Amino acid sequence: MSALTFTVKQETAQRVDMSPLVCQLLKDLSLTDIAAIELQNGKRKIRVDELFTVSGDDSQNIVIKNSYAKLDFIAKELQDGSMTVEGEAGAYFGMSMKSGQLTANGNVGLYAACEMKNGLLTINGNAGDFLGAALPGNKQGMKGGTILVKGNVGQRAGDHMRRGNLLIEGNAGDYCGSRMIAGTIAVMGTTGRFLGYAMQRGTLLLWQQPQLSATFNDCGSHTLAFLPILFKSFKKLDSKFSDDSVAFNRVQRYGGDMAEKGRAEVLVKL
Amino acid sequence: MLIKLTGGTVYDPASGIDGQVKTLFVLDGKFIKQPLAEMPVDKEYDLKGKVVMSGAIDMHTHIGGGKGNIARMLIPEDHRKDPVYRSDITRSGCGHAMPSTFTTGYRYAEMGYTAGFEPAILPVNARQAHMEMADIPILDKGGYVMLGSDDYLLRMLTAKKDQKAINDYVAWTMNAAKAIGVKVVNPGGINAFKFNQRQLDLDEKNSHYQVTPREILQVLATAVKEIGVKHPLHVHGCNLGVPGNVDTTLDTIQGIGGLPMHLTHIQFHSYGTEGDFKFSSGGAAIAESINKNKNITADVGQILFGQTITASGDSMRQHANRSFANPNKWVSMDIECDAGCGVVPFKYRDQNFVNALQWAIGLEIFLLVDDPWRVFLTTDHPNGAPFTTYPHLIRLLMDKSFRNDMLATIHPEAQKMTTLGSIDREYSLQEIAILTRAGAAKLVGLDDRGSLGEGAWADITVYTDNADREKMFEKPDYVFKDGELVVVDGKVVHTKWGTTHIVTPEWDNSVEKDLQKYFDRFMTMKVGNFKMSNDEITEDGRGSLTAHTLNRVS
Repeated sequence: MSALTFTVKQETAQRVDMSPLVCQLLKDLSLTDIAAIELQNGKRKIRVDELFTVSGDDSQNIVIKNSYAKLDFIAKELQDGSMTVEGEAGAYFGMSMKSGQLTANGNVGLYAACEMKNGLLTINGNAGDFLGAALPGNKQGMKGGTILVKGNVGQRAGDHMRRGNLLIEGNAGDYCGSRMIAGTIAVMGTTGRFLGYAMQRGTLLLWQQPQLSATFNDCGSHTLAFLPILFKSFKKLDSKFSDDSVAFNRVQRYGGDMAEKGRAEVLVKL
Repeated sequence: MLIKLTGGTVYDPASGIDGQVKTLFVLDGKFIKQPLAEMPVDKEYDLKGKVVMSGAIDMHTHIGGGKGNIARMLIPEDHRKDPVYRSDITRSGCGHAMPSTFTTGYRYAEMGYTAGFEPAILPVNARQAHMEMADIPILDKGGYVMLGSDDYLLRMLTAKKDQKAINDYVAWTMNAAKAIGVKVVNPGGINAFKFNQRQLDLDEKNSHYQVTPREILQVLATAVKEIGVKHPLHVHGCNLGVPGNVDTTLDTIQGIGGLPMHLTHIQFHSYGTEGDFKFSSGGAAIAESINKNKNITADVGQILFGQTITASGDSMRQHANRSFANPNKWVSMDIECDAGCGVVPFKYRDQNFVNALQWAIGLEIFLLVDDPWRVFLTTDHPNGAPFTTYPHLIRLLMDKSFRNDMLATIHPEAQKMTTLGSIDREYSLQEIAILTRAGAAKLVGLDDRGSLGEGAWADITVYTDNADREKMFEKPDYVFKDGELVVVDGKVVHTKWGTTHIVTPEWDNSVEKDLQKYFDRFMTMKVGNFKMSNDEITEDGRGSLTAHTLNRVS
């Protein structure tokens, strides 16, 4: 069986809701059925075969080729299958993903992996604002799984995050880990202003010294035994995070955000 | 345009017609007795075997005003589950607990409702409330202006101003806010909250103004009567939701001294303190008191299980309920010097003892109040449940075996604490027509609505009789609004704009002299801007005002 492949014929002027094209919804459909699905495109509907050339037959392994930044809701609520995007993806990439594997080989837009439940989501390019965050007005963001970003991420990464790992090889924007409830965010590059703003619990693991707000207290330097275990859990990832040379166990620890519960920590490599 | 509705089984309590086969004629939006012989019938509907009633009227539903928008902002997750797409004739929006304005209109019409009354218009927010309601299609609307916790009235009471001055102020405010009735929410309590009182009993003094809720109710009920407003004072009493508040409610009924008074969402005010959980039903005592005191009317405010959001002017009680918020977020705020507002999302669960008993208490009151003209069908939308649950509620009232099946599924301790299972009463179609049509129109004070009689506006619903009353009432065959066909088979086919019902009581203009001073000193708005003009409702060409008659003032 070969991967079910959607190749974009021509980019649309308006945005496209891609949520119907996800492994669990296409399970028992024939290629003709899939070709006839209608996607919301701006205020119009567009048939799948109008937008894409469809080939392949394995609905549990989907590839979207020539993807562009107006394809929203790719892999929404993905369950069990595997999906790969060649090119850019729009907003809400992997929203509420439940399990399986999702990979973007280009940049992705706002709210990628928002309210993700489980699974592995890899972004080989950059991600927009609100990565792994909660939808506006909702109380809990990402609740499990792993997000790996090889590029940079925008502002508010991990906003309201509840559980899981958010691993960033590049830089993070302002308000990284804001309003975080729990979970782990690791950033190898630089971080912006207001790091961990109103964080309740959770861990921010940093390779570079951040600019911290006055509501974080310096708790001194520590050798933490859990860090080698954490790094070991990254071993299976195809990432810098699995490289022994980046691992460390000696950190400067900051506690905060004292304007909130204050039980979160920022660990900075020493 | 002459429409003939042939051979339907008509339930029209306003004209005393109970299930007779009758042919109705509508000429240019109003019922006529018989057209002149030479008049051609433009459109005939064959309604043989169908049930015909007038359009339903919801006399207490939170469909306009600032708290609705706060509720909408507070629960985006609820909207995301129920998106409403546009069609060629209807606009997009979202639904469920606090639907968008357009969706509110469509969904009400699709259930056969043709009017809804917003029970808590703050005078200072009246403009916003009316503008919001102006965006509700199909329905007629109107509102009750909220008084009783406003500093101006409390100052008048402290200064022992005479009843005449209060009457003038009430009439002036009704006109400024374009209202058809007067509402009191937790009389004086919202104000007392600002002076750090966290509860206020009927005879407890506001620590700043030294005024009790009882006095406030008396002067306002008197004012409403003396200026001739037909809708009795609309009272959301003290101690909402507090176990033991049944005594407060009974005392409120006694204390009003025979003046007309409407007790709203009375289910929330009918709790005792017996039993292992110190929470019991006061439904029977309340119903008995309503049966005895003919000056009292009540709507129930039934709760039904599921997610909803409570939006109330009662910031004191909403603040006390904040720990029950589900999802865990809430708003409690002051609004100018007028009153307050509290919004708390709720999920009523049938396996929760308190919620289950609340459900049973509401139904007890429905079934134990003898006179259907003095009890009204509401869920206090969205506080007990969204209005879209009405067909389910009607089935609970009309179908004893269904009701008992539902009773058997709720929290077992709650089942033991209610007499609901032993009540045999089933509402008839005529009684439902009284609760939701004729009675409601009479209570609100509408001259020519809620009736299928000659001269009334042709708001009509046509149902297919079905033993499953929920199915029957959720999908009318036809709904007409002012003689125009708007719904077919439970779907909107045509939209139009309803009118805004008001009353125009008279007042002495000198009242404005003192108000002017008060506004200049304390308020964020000038008195001239505070008053709404008629043009604000009518100038866009789709809104209109309909003033109803007043009782003769002696």
